[in-house]
Amino acid sequence: MSRVMTLLRHRAMLTLLVVIAVWVVAGFARDGFASYGHLRYLLELAAVIGLVAAGQTLVVIGGGIDLSVAAVITVSAIALPLLSPAGDPTGIVGFVATLALAGFIGFLNGAGIAALRIHPLIMTLAMATFLQGLLVLIAGGSAVSTDNPLVVWLGSARPAGIPAGIMVWVVVSLAVLVYLHRTPGGARIYAIGTNPLAAELSGVRIGRVTMRLYALSGLFAGLAGILVLGMNRQGYVGIGDPYLLSSIAAVVLGGTSILGGAGTYFGTIPGSILLVTITALITVVNASPGWRSILFGTLVLVLLLLAGREQRR
Amino acid sequence: MRASALYWRIQRRRNRGLTGLFLVVLAFLVLYVIQFPGLLTITGISKFTQNWFPLALVTMAQVILMLTGGISLAIGPLVSLGAVIAATTMTGTLGVGGGFLAVCAAGLGVGAAFGAIVTLVRLPAIVVTLAGSFIIAGAALLILERPGGSMPVWLSDLLAGNTPTALGLLVLILIGWKLYLKTPWGLGIYAAGENPVAAFRAGVPVHQVKIAAYAISGLLTALAGLFVAAQTGSGDPVIGTPLTLNSIAAAVLGGAGFLGGTGTMRGAILGSILLSVMINVMFFLGFDPMVQYVAQGLIIVGAVALPQMSRLWRRP
Amino acid sequence: MSDQAPIVAARGVSKAFFGNLVLRDVSIELRPGRIHALLGENGAGKSTLINLLSGALQPDGGTIEIDGRPVSGLTPRTAQRAGVAVVQQELSLTSELSIAENIGLGALPRRGGLIDYRALAERAREACALVGLDEPLDTPVAALPLGRRQMVEIARVLYRRPRVVILDEPTSSLSAHEAQTLAGLVHRLKAEGVAVLYISHRLNEVTALCDYVTVLKDGTRTADQSLAGVDPQGLVRLMVGRDPGDLFPPAEPHPAGPVMVAVEGFHAGQIRDAALTVRAGEIVGLGGLVGQGQEDFLLGLYGAIPARAASAKVGGLARCPASVAEANAAGLAYIPADRKREGLFLTHSIAFNLVLPTLGAMARRGLRDRGAESATIARLVGQLGIRGDVRRPVQALSGGNQQKVALAKWMPAQPQVLLLNDPTRGVDIETKREIYLMLRGLAREGKAIILLSSDTPELVHLCDRVAVVREGRVVTTLERDALSEEAIVGAAMGVDRQAEAA
Repeated sequence: MSRVMTLLRHRAMLTLLVVIAVWVVAGFARDGFASYGHLRYLLELAAVIGLVAAGQTLVVIGGGIDLSVAAVITVSAIALPLLSPAGDPTGIVGFVATLALAGFIGFLNGAGIAALRIHPLIMTLAMATFLQGLLVLIAGGSAVSTDNPLVVWLGSARPAGIPAGIMVWVVVSLAVLVYLHRTPGGARIYAIGTNPLAAELSGVRIGRVTMRLYALSGLFAGLAGILVLGMNRQGYVGIGDPYLLSSIAAVVLGGTSILGGAGTYFGTIPGSILLVTITALITVVNASPGWRSILFGTLVLVLLLLAGREQRR
Repeated sequence: MRASALYWRIQRRRNRGLTGLFLVVLAFLVLYVIQFPGLLTITGISKFTQNWFPLALVTMAQVILMLTGGISLAIGPLVSLGAVIAATTMTGTLGVGGGFLAVCAAGLGVGAAFGAIVTLVRLPAIVVTLAGSFIIAGAALLILERPGGSMPVWLSDLLAGNTPTALGLLVLILIGWKLYLKTPWGLGIYAAGENPVAAFRAGVPVHQVKIAAYAISGLLTALAGLFVAAQTGSGDPVIGTPLTLNSIAAAVLGGAGFLGGTGTMRGAILGSILLSVMINVMFFLGFDPMVQYVAQGLIIVGAVALPQMSRLWRRP
Repeated sequence: MSDQAPIVAARGVSKAFFGNLVLRDVSIELRPGRIHALLGENGAGKSTLINLLSGALQPDGGTIEIDGRPVSGLTPRTAQRAGVAVVQQELSLTSELSIAENIGLGALPRRGGLIDYRALAERAREACALVGLDEPLDTPVAALPLGRRQMVEIARVLYRRPRVVILDEPTSSLSAHEAQTLAGLVHRLKAEGVAVLYISHRLNEVTALCDYVTVLKDGTRTADQSLAGVDPQGLVRLMVGRDPGDLFPPAEPHPAGPVMVAVEGFHAGQIRDAALTVRAGEIVGLGGLVGQGQEDFLLGLYGAIPARAASAKVGGLARCPASVAEANAAGLAYIPADRKREGLFLTHSIAFNLVLPTLGAMARRGLRDRGAESATIARLVGQLGIRGDVRRPVQALSGGNQQKVALAKWMPAQPQVLLLNDPTRGVDIETKREIYLMLRGLAREGKAIILLSSDTPELVHLCDRVAVVREGRVVTTLERDALSEEAIVGAAMGVDRQAEAA
């Protein structure tokens, strides 16, 4: 495995080099792009994608896909104010309750996929549809705002000049990397993603691993939702929508095979930053929404075409 | 005599797995008719098929791709693109004929491009169509930034008026598909989807077969957009959005598999009717549209899980 | 007749994959009316040679000739048009399509651009009659058992009215009856002047059927001669270059250990009401025709499919295990027949494959212990005699070495009961010998071994006892002194030996 890993780390480095190259060029081309404040802002945005993509990476390596992350982000952003009791000055209760809810939604995905043998695309898609309706029933379609102190702190504080969101991302990244590469559980994810039948016959409890993967994906999406809420101070239906495609794109740009069994979060991290950078560049160009969308899609496609040579098996 | 019957015997065999689904659809339709006897008039049938027609087309488009082992996450944007092209050209200089050709060209072109990237560059379909969905959605926005444009009134009346034109068109499309499946390339879709290497060795031109399937799928999707434009009388650059997910859901309800080689058009038709009827029934029963989403999520999971569970129970 | 000019020939062809030379300067001539055997161990280059002859691959050096003319850029289509047809080893049918459509696929008769189903039915029926397929032509292939699918595969080739037929291990999934039909068919093709290339690991079959043989070893041709007067022993000498007498290690007397597996009234999958006892140090065989439920027996004991029993002791459990993980915990290990699909993670490293089952046991405080893992890997690789970097993907290994990895990955778990599903299927003779030695060694260490095998001599020479399964039931259990190939085959075919004796 280590040789494959070195190759993929290499891939991750490549993505990182592309990001840095883009930053340097854009910094010369446009004043302020490469300023510390702007780059910090980009990283803050990348943190949200990176968190969502952390769960997505785990699920994709395990041979699945999670199309419900956007809905889980929205649910978390809207549910947090409802779950935060007025009498809690720290805001921890609401924070934990929301994460538990998000993790539980993910667990339900995993249970449907593992126990009922529903295809991940269908299960998570149906879950997204279900949540979409549930949200409006609960929240009534209007935007909610939060004054949960912990969440506000997460979204705006900058201890030692570094945004709290980026710190959360760093912690989550380390945890995910340790899980993937330093624990038996991580190796089992690769095993079920490569060959579920052989994994089962080798004694891997596929059902358990699957449920854990999707629960983690829900949990990380919930964390991202809380962060987005903290940054915006407002939650509304549709707030999570941009993150579904970004999370999958970040995973694939980072060199993880969408077919499962190969890849690493090492690649997803620069993948997330690359996506945010592309979006920022397109905004700088000051094009109409249509052109922005076309540019974004084309750039992602071109990057995939370039990366594709190594994706073949 | 016996020899010429082979085709029909094969066709009958293919219906067998669908009997259960067929009965479910029938039951839903009967319930629907009991609730709204107006359905059995010409107007009723016309309106019903018009509501269902776009979903039927995109479900077929999705099933064709799933047969090749692919999938499209760009169905919604391509429907929107078809709609805005139709709404900006048909009352303009191109006229109805020119507009129709433009919509067809867009659908075929986008589909073939996807097919070429998926088969020749060998990128996963899900990723290519995901990235492509941004490009197509952007193109739709460029053509028409906000809902607008117009459709010839006679065309709207013809397609979405009180005549069952849509039903007729659907029958025509199904006949066309049947004929295509009777060609070596059509049959090759099944072989190329299930086991491309084996199909290649057997002499099936796998690349061409797949790219053609993607192009046909794109054509059907764009035509669904044209129909939606005629229905609403104008173009809307985001009108197709819900159809991406619904097309996948209806395809799976109709028995198509994700691994390629499994699925039928009659399954697509039944799956799309089922989904459409459920949405309609809930709408007429006065459900909040959002409750519909909740119910839809549950029904999709239920419909997919139930056969699986019965299979699990039957085994020991 | 076989003096006629060859229809297809390879002249000094070479082929390399990723810089790895798999065929070196190999020549072969396929002549009309001759049944030509192609022999060689796994990885000797047989498949590559077939792919070159049928246009699926192009040679890096040398030429392919058709009717005496060199052709460059041969594709499957052009090879087909020239009359070369291959019955592939792995099944290549489309399960959703009917028998007739599968037979015609790639060469469908057309009328006005559409498939002419009438002509298809006529020609497909002819082809089916030749191979004894009497199922209705509209039957979807998904509904056919494995052996019948193989016959469809052969019918598909005959449908094309070939001049050259290449059969790649055609009998591995056939019943005895189907194999007989096939032998008749091959003779008939010969009489019609078709050139047949026949690849098989079953040497009896080869000597009975073939006229001529080409042997490959490590990508080079080591023999190319007539088969007249050569017996199976002689064939082995051709392949291995030495006498085959010591293929099976001699049996060793051993004391009966404690009972490790004992089931009565055992039901799992096809298996009905079976009983079996295995003691530590014993090798107990499961024999019978292919697909009578033997595999379900192993999978049921292993917790991979639901099983129940009137009374059971399975390893450390007093009941049938409910899951594979439980079976592993109870001291069981399973080595699957299809190692690529069920045993290995092909794209992952040798090291990953070797440590996966025991990662949890080796972990410390929840984290993987790299030191312990490397030590284990080094020990296993040493025992297996696998050279080179353990970080290579396991698919880079030869078939025999892959099988050894699939077996060795369980050793660190120290299982008490080994369930082996046809461990030597498609494995070359050298590796077979090594696997037999390993099994003997494991039994000596006190493991209880259940060996499912489709190779009857293997059961006779290795097992202390053989349970013969037919139609889901254990029809007889033959003890050591009653073991013979005739006894096993007789029981498997349902020949009543008592009646015969009386």
